[in-house]
Amino acid sequence: MKSLRLENICKDYGNSRALDHVSLAIEPEEFMVVMGPSGSGKTTLLLTILGALKPDEGHIFMNGESIDNLPVEARGIGYVPQDFGLFPHLTVRQNVSFGLEVKNIPRDIMSQTVERMLSFVELKEFADRRPNMLSGGERQRVALARALATNPSILLLDEPLSSIDEGTKSDVRERLKSILREAKATTVCVMHTPEDAFILGDRIAVMNQGQIIQISTPSELLRNPKNRLVKRLIASMYVQD
Amino acid sequence: MALDSKWGVWMKDKLGFILAISAVGFAGYMFTASFFIYLITLFSWDKVIPQLLSGRVLAALLISVSSSFIVAVLAVLVGIPFAYFLTHGEFKFKSTIETLMVDLPQTFPPVTVGLVYLLLLGPGSPVNLAFTYAAVVIAKFYVSSPFMVGFAARRFREVKARGFDLIARSLGADTRHLLFRVVLPMSKRDLLAGFSLTWARAMGELGATMIFAGIIPWKTEVIPTLVFNIAQTEPNTAIAAAVLAETLSIVALISLRRGAKERR
Repeated sequence: MKSLRLENICKDYGNSRALDHVSLAIEPEEFMVVMGPSGSGKTTLLLTILGALKPDEGHIFMNGESIDNLPVEARGIGYVPQDFGLFPHLTVRQNVSFGLEVKNIPRDIMSQTVERMLSFVELKEFADRRPNMLSGGERQRVALARALATNPSILLLDEPLSSIDEGTKSDVRERLKSILREAKATTVCVMHTPEDAFILGDRIAVMNQGQIIQISTPSELLRNPKNRLVKRLIASMYVQD
Repeated sequence: MALDSKWGVWMKDKLGFILAISAVGFAGYMFTASFFIYLITLFSWDKVIPQLLSGRVLAALLISVSSSFIVAVLAVLVGIPFAYFLTHGEFKFKSTIETLMVDLPQTFPPVTVGLVYLLLLGPGSPVNLAFTYAAVVIAKFYVSSPFMVGFAARRFREVKARGFDLIARSLGADTRHLLFRVVLPMSKRDLLAGFSLTWARAMGELGATMIFAGIIPWKTEVIPTLVFNIAQTEPNTAIAAAVLAETLSIVALISLRRGAKERR
């Protein structure tokens, strides 16, 4: 796993600025949560790191090397979208092996890796099912296994708990935490819910109107919000939820 | 309050009644036009049925079916790359190009298309294909292939909008993997629907084929041009030809759509 550094990233959509001089440094194996209200630029930030959006200004470095000119498929960044994005026509096993197949990994190594990942996320018995036969939590674990199977340098998660129902959320959250800890994945995770962010994040970056206004550990963020705006944002997001 | 709700129910019922009448009226209109030919056949079967197996009708049917099949296969071969290009390419005037390539040919008067091809590839041009089997295919292709492109482009856009291309690319997929492992398998039903409609539209094409390929029995005469040509002089043969073509179209459309539904 690698470190990630963003330097003065700006991104405009027409006349509106989605990212405004965003700088962020993430250590190897760190779980960085990006939190903020809707429209604050969280998903734009994630898609810019992934390479799906090209920043208008600024640079992105992975282990100190610029990845500005690398296309999505060459960045080695795992991505799990909000709805997990499992290919509906493929089984769980085929979904997990997809990234290995396209990289032409030898068949025996591929099947070993897939079995290992399925055991890792405790879904071996669901290997031949299609995604529509799985619960939200199971789908999330398949998506994680699929992304982790290719051994990505960085893992990007977009609101991984938003489509999980409240009844099973804490269990899913705990599993997510233990899977990512065990995988030692450097993770950038967009979250809307402060409770999830405080439980999962090693550090939390609070975003508002395209800017990062505070980066702290969860306890520090609760103890010392940088200003009234951060305090209000945390409070308002608690109220929304 | 009770009165309000009663009025609400009454209005709803009245509107429901009007909607039902409109729906039945529309269905009746379409049904009559589509199946009246079968009714005629039923009442004059002794005159119509013998014509079904006449050599000229069978030849026209063979030319119709084979040329329409070639058109549909060609539409798949060139329509998929074009739809992929429309969906994933980054270039200006994308929607204008799509309108020109997909919507315009469907609204362009087919007779005009035939005339254009006659001037472009007819007598007097370096390559003269007028009044040949190739002319039948060319004329039908222009009018019918946009169905394939339209269906494919709509579905490819849906797959892209749901983020599947981004996920596949983040996993290392190149264009080949993205197309053959993600986009095409997820578009099977729509591609089959596009194929069947392209085929059916090609089967029914008259204007462009008539002008560019002519009406030469055993060579370029297809079912619609045969019907047009002999409707006045040999009505029973014309009816037989129409029944054959229509039955084939209905069977093909229903079975292809059913097959696509089961595969999904």
